[in-house]
Amino acid sequence: MDFIYAQKLEEALNALRTQAGRAKVLAGGTDLMIQIARGEKQPQALIFIGQLKDDLAAVSLSQDGHLNIGALVTHRQICADRQVQASYPALATASASVGGWQTQSVGTLAGNICNASPAADTIPPLLVHEAVVTIQSAARGLRDVSLEYFITGRRQIAIENDEMVVGITLAPLPADTADAYLKVGRRKAMEVAIAGLAMRLTMAGPEIVGELRVATCATGPVSRRAREVEALFSGQKLTDELVTQGASLLGRMIQPIDDTRASAQYRKLVIPKLFRGAVLECLAKLGIAISGLEKS
Amino acid sequence: MKINLKVNGILEEVEIEASTVLLDVLRDKLHLTGAKEGCREGECGACTVLIDGQPVDSCLYSAAAAANTEIETVEGISANGLSAIQKAMVEEGGIQCGFCTPGIVMTLTALLRQNADPTPKDVAAALNGNICRCTGYSRIVSATLKAAKNAMAQKAGDAHA
Ligand SMILES: Cc1cc2nc3c(=O)[nH]c(=O)nc-3n(C[C@@H](O)[C@@H](O)[C@H](O)COP(=O)(O)OP(=O)(O)OC[C@H]3O[C@@H](n4cnc5c(N)ncnc54)[C@H](O)[C@@H]3O)c2cc1C
Ligand code: FES
Ligand code: FES
Repeated sequence: MDFIYAQKLEEALNALRTQAGRAKVLAGGTDLMIQIARGEKQPQALIFIGQLKDDLAAVSLSQDGHLNIGALVTHRQICADRQVQASYPALATASASVGGWQTQSVGTLAGNICNASPAADTIPPLLVHEAVVTIQSAARGLRDVSLEYFITGRRQIAIENDEMVVGITLAPLPADTADAYLKVGRRKAMEVAIAGLAMRLTMAGPEIVGELRVATCATGPVSRRAREVEALFSGQKLTDELVTQGASLLGRMIQPIDDTRASAQYRKLVIPKLFRGAVLECLAKLGIAISGLEKS
Repeated sequence: MKINLKVNGILEEVEIEASTVLLDVLRDKLHLTGAKEGCREGECGACTVLIDGQPVDSCLYSAAAAANTEIETVEGISANGLSAIQKAMVEEGGIQCGFCTPGIVMTLTALLRQNADPTPKDVAAALNGNICRCTGYSRIVSATLKAAKNAMAQKAGDAHA
C-alpha cells in the first residue's frame, strides 16, 4: 500500500484520477484505519488529505446565509461551532455523541457521511436540514448532490472513483423552526447508536405545523426521511393524538435488524418514544406549549 | 516508507508501512511504552497521545498521517519530573492498576491547557473516551480539580511576586 500526501487540493484530485479506484481518501482515519486493520478494506493507496486544512477545515457562512462545512471539519469543531449551535443544534448534538474526545478530535463530518454506516449519527440531522454534498474531481470540477441521493445504500455512496467530497452545505432556516437529535445507546458516551432520530419542526401558527421532517438511523440499512409520517403533519393542528399517530406510523415503517446492540423489536418500541421526545424538544426550543401534549 | 515524526519535541526518522498505526511506532520503534494497547479499536483510550494538542487514540491513528504534527506522549510531559496533573493523581489516589493512567493523564493535560478551571462535568465529558476499570473515576475527577486549583493558585502567586 502506498501513502500519498496531498499538499494541495489539486494534488489529491490528480492522485485520485491516476489511482482510478485503487486508492481511498484518508481523513481522520477513525473508520478507515480500523477497516484496514481488520482486512475489510484493502486499498492499494491512501491519499491523505489531512494537510489540506487551509482549503477544507473551515465552517463559513456565505453571503446568502448558507453554512459551508469543509471536508476536514472535525466533530469537535462542529460541536463547538457557534453557528452550528445557533442554527442546527441537532447536528452539534449528533457530533458531540460520536465516540469520545479522541474520536471527535480527528474524525470528520465528511468521513462520517462517506463511511455511510446505517448508525452514523450525523446523517439524520443532515437529512432533515436537506444538506447538500459538494463533490470535486480533476476531470469534471465541482458538482452538488443532495445528501439523500448521496447515500445510496448500507455503506454505499454516490461518488465516482476520481471524486472526493470537499464540503457540506446547509441552507438558512425558515422562521419558527427548531430541530432535535435524540439517540439511544447502551451508555451515555461513546456508544454507536442503538437508534437515533432527528427532527426539524417549522410552525405556521400557534398550534399549526408548517412542516415536520424526520429521519432515523440504526433503524434499517440506510438512513432516510420518513415522508409518509411527515405528510401527516403538514398544515395540521399539532395535537397529542396526531403525535401518537405519527409515532406509531414511524415505528411500523422502520425496518431494523437484531444485532449485538439491541433487538429489532426494541428498536421498534424505542423509535416512537424518540419521535414524541423530539416533538416536545422542538416545541420547547420554540417556546411553545401545547396543552394536552405531554411526554408519554 | 521513511517518515519523520516529531515526538516530544524530538524529530525521529522511522521506517513504517502505510498501514502502520502510531501506537506501534511509539512502543516498538521508539520504545516509548507509556501509551498502552488496551483494545486497539478506539474504545478504551489507554493509547491516548496528543497530536497538535488534541487527544487522539494512537492505536487507530495512521503513523504516516502524524508526520508534520507535534506528538506528545506521557514521557514528554513528565520529562522534568511529574506534571501537576500527575502529582495530583498520585496524591488523590486516582491510580489503582495504572493501565489507563497514561492515557487519562494525556487527555487531562489537553483539558487543563484548554480549560484552566474545569467543572466536574467538564472533566467527565473530557474523559468520555477513557475507560478506567478500577477507580470509579471520582478520584480522577478530584485530582483534576486539585491540579487546576494548584495551577491557578500558583499563577496568582506568580502575578503577585
Ligand atoms: C471508538 C469509536 C467510536 C465511534 N463512535 C461513533 C458514533 O457513536 N457515531 C458515529 O456516527 N460514528 C462513530 N464512529 C465513527 C466516526 O468516528 C467516523 O464515522 C468519522 O466521522 C469518520 O471520519 P474520519 O475523518 O475519521 O474518516 P476516515 O476514516 O478517514 O474515512 C472514512 C471513509 O470516508 C472516506 N472519506 C473521508 N473523507 C472523504 C472525503 N473528503 N471525500 C471522499 N471520501 C472521504 C474514506 O475514504 C473512508 O472510506 C466511531 C469511531 C470510533 C473509532
Ligand atoms: S488501545 Fe487505543 S483506544 Fe484502546
Ligand atoms: S487504574 Fe486500573 S484501569 Fe484505571
